[in-house]
Parts: sequence; structure tokens; C-alpha cells
Amino acid sequence: MSMHIHVLSTICSAALTISVVELIRRQRIAEKYSLLWLVMGAVMIVCSAYPRVLEDAARLLEIYEATSVLIIIGFVMAMVMILHLTIVISRLQRQQTRLIQELALLKASLEKEEDPDDRYAHRIG
Amino acid sequence: MKTDLNVLVIIPAYNEENSIARVVRAVHEAHPEVDMLVVNDGSTDETSLRARATGLAHVIDLPFNVGIGGAVQTGYIFASRHGYDIAIQLDADGQHEPGDLNKIVSVISNGEADCCIGSRFLEKTGYTSTPIRQWGIRFFSWLIRALTGRTMTDPTSGFRAVNRKAMEYFAENYPDDYPEVEALVMLERKGFTIKETPVHMHCREEGHSSITAGKALYYMTKVSLAVLLTRFRNVG
Repeated sequence: MSMHIHVLSTICSAALTISVVELIRRQRIAEKYSLLWLVMGAVMIVCSAYPRVLEDAARLLEIYEATSVLIIIGFVMAMVMILHLTIVISRLQRQQTRLIQELALLKASLEKEEDPDDRYAHRIG
Repeated sequence: MKTDLNVLVIIPAYNEENSIARVVRAVHEAHPEVDMLVVNDGSTDETSLRARATGLAHVIDLPFNVGIGGAVQTGYIFASRHGYDIAIQLDADGQHEPGDLNKIVSVISNGEADCCIGSRFLEKTGYTSTPIRQWGIRFFSWLIRALTGRTMTDPTSGFRAVNRKAMEYFAENYPDDYPEVEALVMLERKGFTIKETPVHMHCREEGHSSITAGKALYYMTKVSLAVLLTRFRNVG
């Protein structure tokens, strides 16, 4: 890797990490969801600032181009991030369904309170 | 029907304005002693209004469409909180015959099983559906037999009753979409007993099946996966 790209990518990685920290500081993202981003930023800073790490990894994995290692790392991290988001969305969806159900049940029981002559009134506390 | 038990009929309805009132009235005529709960699953038509207009059913409106599973579960939550002994699920499209209610309920009230499914195929009832659908139902029967060793002739039937124990379990755990088959495997896995009883089934009067050709593949895959995973999952 040339010197220029080396410096540029270090700056970019640092900027990403600082942005994540700033978003946490402003409470735009919850800490628990930001951990992955911070890890990703740290890995990118290390890889950019010390290209030797990438080159060593490439040799170890018998990969000819050191940049390929970077792409693989990026791809794996992106996949982990997407998987993490899917888990979060699934949980949110379950919680949302339960909230919708509780809201509808509550609304129904309020309606019955207003109309005590209803056949089912005796069932609602 | 034995009246010493509190029975709730749960009717999940999504855009069924053309049939909901008729279904509610038919259930009332056949069994005036049972309570009815229509769970309107965020319909965009007059389902809720027409159900309320009958004055025969309790109506709960879900503010958004959460899918049949979430709608049915709302009914089970309601039933378990309000002390019902038996909850029966019945489709809003008029395919189920309210006259069969007794047969399904008596299996539960006699303590023969925790859950009773109204099966279209246990006896020759003259019900026919498309070959693809029949193949699908047979596939699920086979899958359930392979995984649990139990024989269920009609695991996709939405006409079913549960006792208090199973109702409370469903109030906490219920699959989200296309829930029929998966719910049975969950019950089976938790050690609940399931029986089938023959019922009649009408051909669809109004509306369309929620399962269109495009969704069929998703349906088969999702349900198979869910059934397989339920077999190996630690259920709630």
C-alpha cells in the first residue's frame, strides 16, 4: 500500500470511530448497539495505521493481495452487523405485536366500562 | 352444550366485511350460550363496524395488521384473562360450520384432550380443495408424523378448541404468521394432548384465501422450517 492511501484510510477510520462516539454521546444510538461499530472502527484503524498487520495476515492465509484481506474483513463485519440488526428487528417486532395486543385489549375494556349494559360487561374487571 | 363452562369463540378477521356479520349470527343461532370475540386485525374495510352492529360479539380492534397469529393470540390473552374455560378458534370467512362447535368442545369438556382440531379429512365430508392445497396438507401431516410420531389429518385447520391450560400457554407463546401447524407442534412439544374430530367445511363464500400462489412457497418453507426448529428448540 502506498503512503497516501495509508494515511487517508487511517483518517477515514478515525473519522468513522469519532462519528460513532459522537452519536453515542448525543444518545442517537444506544451503547449496546454501538459496540459492533466501535469494534469495526478499531479494527479499521489498526489495519490502516499498521499495514504490516494486513500483510502478515495475508501471508498467513496465503492470500496474494493484502487488500483482499481488508475486503474479507469488511465483508465479514458487514454480515455480522446485518445479522445483529436482524436480531434486533425481530425482538422489536415481537415487542411491537405485544404492545398492539395490549393496547387493543385495554381500549376494549375501557369501551365496556363506558357501556355497562353490555352483555360481556361482567367479564371485564 | 354444557353451560357450566365458560366458552369463548375467537374469530380473527382481516377485511371480512362481507361475511363477518353472517358468521357471528350463525354462531349465535347455533350456540346462544357462548361468548364471541371478533379480533379485527387492522382491517381497512367495515369488518369492525359490521361485527359490532350485530350486538352479539365482543370486538377488539388491533390498530395495525399484525397477522393472523398475533390476532388469534389476542383472543387467547383475552380468554385467559377473563377466566374462560374453553377457547375456540373459528375462521371469519364462513367456511366452518357452527353446528360442529359442540363436537369440538365436548372433546375438551370431557377432558379427552387439551386441544381439539376440527378435521376436514377424518371422515368423508365431501370437502374438496385444490390438488395443490391437498398436497400441502398431506405434506404437513407427513412432517408432523415424522417429527412427533402423531397422526394429524388436517393440521392446517383453523377450527380448533383448547382448554384453560393450553389457552394460557398460547397467550404467552404463539407463532406470528401461518400459525396453525406450528402451534400444534408447539403444543405437542410441551406435552399437551391433541385430538381431531371430523367437521364439515363449506367452500369459501366471500373474500380470498390469504394464501395466494405467490405466497404458497413462502408458506411451505416458513412453516416447514418453523416445525423443524420447534422440534429442536426449547419451547417457552
